[in-house]
Amino acid sequence: MGVTLALLSIMVMIPLASLVVFTAKMDFSDIIKVITRPRVVASFEVTLLTAFIASVINAVMGVILAWVLVRYNFPGKRILDGMIELPFALPTAVAGISLTSLYADSGWIGGIFANMGIKIAYTRIGITIALIFIGIPFVVRTVQPVLEKLDPLYEEAAGILGASRTRTFWKVILPELRPAIFTGFGLAFGRCLGEYGSVVFIAGNQPYETEITPLIIMSELQEYDYSSATAIALVMLAAAFLILFLVNLIQIRNSKILKGGH
Amino acid sequence: MSAGNNQVISREGTTEIHAQTAGSKAVKIILISVSVIFLFVMLVMPLITVIYEAFRKGLIPYLEAISDPDTLSALLLTLEATVIAVVINTVFGLFAAWAISKFRFRGKKLLVTLIDLPVTVSPIIAGLIFVLTFGRQSIIYPLLESIDFMVVYAVPGIILATVFVTFPFISREILPVLEAQGTDEEEAAALMGAKGFTIFRRVTLPHIKWALLYGIVLCAARAMGEFGAVSVLSGHLRGKTVTLPLQVEILFGDNKFMPAFAVSSILVVLAVVILIVRSIVEYIGKRRGEK
Amino acid sequence: MYIELKNINKSYGSFKASDNVNFGIEKGRLVALLGPSGSGKTTILRMIAGLEKPDSGEIIIDGKVVNDIPASRRGIGFVFQSYALFRYMTVFDNIAFGLKVRKLNKQVINERVTELVRLIGLEGFEKRYPSQLSGGQRQRVAFARALAPNPQVLLLDEPFAAIDAKVRQELRKWLKDMIHKLGVTGIFVTHDQDEAIEVSDEIIVTNKGRVEQSGTPIDIYRNPATAFTSAFFGVTSELKDYKAFKSFDEVDEYDKAIVRPEFVKITKKTEVQKYKSSAVEGRVETVEFRGNSIEITVSCNGSVFSARRSLDEPAVEVGEIVDVFIYRIFITHGDSVKLLKNNAIREETVVI
Repeated sequence: MGVTLALLSIMVMIPLASLVVFTAKMDFSDIIKVITRPRVVASFEVTLLTAFIASVINAVMGVILAWVLVRYNFPGKRILDGMIELPFALPTAVAGISLTSLYADSGWIGGIFANMGIKIAYTRIGITIALIFIGIPFVVRTVQPVLEKLDPLYEEAAGILGASRTRTFWKVILPELRPAIFTGFGLAFGRCLGEYGSVVFIAGNQPYETEITPLIIMSELQEYDYSSATAIALVMLAAAFLILFLVNLIQIRNSKILKGGH
Repeated sequence: MSAGNNQVISREGTTEIHAQTAGSKAVKIILISVSVIFLFVMLVMPLITVIYEAFRKGLIPYLEAISDPDTLSALLLTLEATVIAVVINTVFGLFAAWAISKFRFRGKKLLVTLIDLPVTVSPIIAGLIFVLTFGRQSIIYPLLESIDFMVVYAVPGIILATVFVTFPFISREILPVLEAQGTDEEEAAALMGAKGFTIFRRVTLPHIKWALLYGIVLCAARAMGEFGAVSVLSGHLRGKTVTLPLQVEILFGDNKFMPAFAVSSILVVLAVVILIVRSIVEYIGKRRGEK
Repeated sequence: MYIELKNINKSYGSFKASDNVNFGIEKGRLVALLGPSGSGKTTILRMIAGLEKPDSGEIIIDGKVVNDIPASRRGIGFVFQSYALFRYMTVFDNIAFGLKVRKLNKQVINERVTELVRLIGLEGFEKRYPSQLSGGQRQRVAFARALAPNPQVLLLDEPFAAIDAKVRQELRKWLKDMIHKLGVTGIFVTHDQDEAIEVSDEIIVTNKGRVEQSGTPIDIYRNPATAFTSAFFGVTSELKDYKAFKSFDEVDEYDKAIVRPEFVKITKKTEVQKYKSSAVEGRVETVEFRGNSIEITVSCNGSVFSARRSLDEPAVEVGEIVDVFIYRIFITHGDSVKLLKNNAIREETVVI
């Protein structure tokens, strides 16, 4: 118990407390001034938009991947399954430079799109792709166990009642997966909002265009402007907590439906 | 018979409706193709790119790039930080999981939330809070200065950041196993006169060893790859406070692409090894669990 | 015959779930598939439903071979053992599911669901989720959901297994009345013989993937056709040596001698025993109050078996020596069974 609390204090509580102490010393109007700077606001927009799109794409792909991994048998399935965690294992910086060179106009994939007149690296599309990479495991790994445990009886019941496969999926299976999808989506979204390593290389970091919020914090820190960095960080923390809160809310609602109570 | 037979059915997984809902052949082929293409483009191609770019100019330049003194010192620092993070978090993870699962006390939920906090905040913010704690504007800065112990832009900062971002990894893996197990066996052992450490080694450890190993693997993976938080605290002093991921950043920023990918290739290999170990540990753990 | 199974075989790996199953069911009947765990009764039900495909043989519903017709087009309703109510749908949506699938217009669906909700007595519960219902209520919803598309056949897998004993009694009667009222053909699976006897018009006894016997409950009870049925049906005890009991014909070869409580008459030494000369002495081992009778186990000639006495008769006590007279015995040999009557009462009419 003592060891637990001591380590927890040194590693988590004291640093957090220093954030609180530092914030308390700041003027509220200063905080507002910092976070309403057009460049900062633009970075919020870029970060939120790209993180949202990436997480939506990951939610859809996550369900498809989980479905394929649970319901189908095919050669190489185990490899595919093991690969899902790669974004957790691969250092973000490596992912960042690799995606950058892959999606740059001279890269293998970027080149194909460049011919069609679409630039990927150094645009918001590039940021989104890096965030998709980072977020792949979340939805797959939350949906997969739910799908594995899903009682086949529900599908049999729907089948006997005359439902088509498509209808059974949308009306019976998807509602069962929905809480897990939202949880995975929330986790991925939260992760994407704070992501730095994989994004900085491919983003191009053009102010107002492709500059993400973590990068702004980073540059404020490099200029020793700790107050601005902290102010912006507070907004990000608030966003992260809001997401966690919403995820919890969904789970509470869900357990109400499943466990009864009025 | 229903019980026995349902088991047969679910094990085979081939009831008529189930087969139907799993979809027609066309749907199956489309979905598998979509998945394979998606993972190939998003995960495999980046790996291939790293290896391809690293060996683009041949083996000799590759070897030169990875034996660069700065790179080697970065490798050493990464290993140092990783080992320390794994050791501290293993100790913490064991104590924390044990305390949480075996005792009842107020504020348990808060404790769990606090432990999980480091993975939910952005790595940049993780770096920021350590700068605020130990940096120039901190209350304890004069004290640190007087004993000549630098955290920000120094090795201790890097290590702290690494420990922080991997903080919950091990306790999180052990906790569910310990909670499922309860305290009966420990109490039985204690009644028979076993001492604390003996109980841990003989009774508790066998239960949690696969979860522990899995947690260590995850922790190591994250520790060696951490970029954002370390980046904030590093100051990028070449040969001194640069870890492998930071070295990749520096080289890439200097337009030294080939060496950047060469260094990356080391991390890619480590990542793949970790994934394989993870799969094996998980597989064995699952099989043991079933028995 | 409305539903017919002809030479049905089905295996799971080396496990033979159905071994040349044949039977027919007339329209409008409520039939119980009765058998112990692993006897193949659920597999039969699932094959009729189209949830499983037989390896060989024909399933005929209303004159058509339905082997290749998918479950959704066989015109059947199915009530699952655990009901499989859609957890994220309200009572209304669960019942309406099979109607919406058929793309009926909204008003028709509303009317039909309202009618069914009234039928199952759950007015006012339409907006509840399954988790907010009791076990009995869930079962009724499952029943209504299966009936919504107007199936001609209703299949029920252990329909009362998940309900507590008190409500079960009430639901059994309700289900029986309901099925007869609606005129559908019903088949339900059960391992509980009381349930089968009470609810069904006809019982099909299964064992080890085979059909042992079928007939009305009373017929099967009185005249078990196989060794299995004679031992499975009723509360049965085995006699170690039936020849030690007086005035039975001798049978050369036999495997088991089986008695049911109602075959045994126990009289206190102080009471009159009409067939005293054919009775033997036994010792009372246990006495238990069963609500409407007293159940007694006696040990007698090395066998221990049960008997009943009415509540009106004088009480017997544990350890008491009593006269035991056995009216009849089932003698099994291989698969066959033979009823032996006590010769002492051969010429008289006996009421059991």
